[in-house]
Amino acid sequence: MGWIFLVIAGIFEVVGVMGMNLVNKFGNVKSYMILIIGLILSFGSLALAMESLPLGLSYAIWTGIGTIGGTIIGMLFYDEPKEWKRISFIGIILAAVIGLKLTS
Amino acid sequence: MSRSWALVILAGLIEIFWAIGLKHSTNGITWAGTIFLIYLSFVVLIKATKAVPVATVYAVFTGIGTAGTVLVDMIVFGEPFSWTKIFFILILLIGVLGLKLVTKKSDKQEGVV
Repeated sequence: MGWIFLVIAGIFEVVGVMGMNLVNKFGNVKSYMILIIGLILSFGSLALAMESLPLGLSYAIWTGIGTIGGTIIGMLFYDEPKEWKRISFIGIILAAVIGLKLTS
Repeated sequence: MSRSWALVILAGLIEIFWAIGLKHSTNGITWAGTIFLIYLSFVVLIKATKAVPVATVYAVFTGIGTAGTVLVDMIVFGEPFSWTKIFFILILLIGVLGLKLVTKKSDKQEGVV
């Protein structure tokens, strides 16, 4: 069950990041609602996942899904740069965050 | 350093404090402070996305928060020191600096407008 909550948490984190794109673009009540509800549901599911899965592992996978998902959605729908350099540096940050979470 | 990158870093620094708050809050006041800091970090973050791509902002934000909490855990809360953690923090800094360098162009354009 923990893994299902973790995947759900990751998906809602992507919804939250998408909400940030929407807030940035439109700044209306609807986009703030998507951002806030996405993040609350994401944190909630993450907390549920952590009840049965190790903390560091859960956080590492959660951040992974959120960052990769957010990057892909940004490039596909919000015209964010697709250069390989940018993708590589986001990958380097992600690798370091996952490394830190798994070793802490 | 441009204003929006300063904002991303500020949001990451605020995240370190609310992460500590999530772990160590014991009463209503500390919880209220933690929730306020979460709110504040996202307000600052959204300001930063005006000039820097959202996914870039988010990656740097998460990175600073993670590295910061690991450092605070080691320095303030007595977690064991490890070279592996320092190594990952250095890798993370390379990622953040690199991302800042390759984002410079679009950032400058926004600055002119």
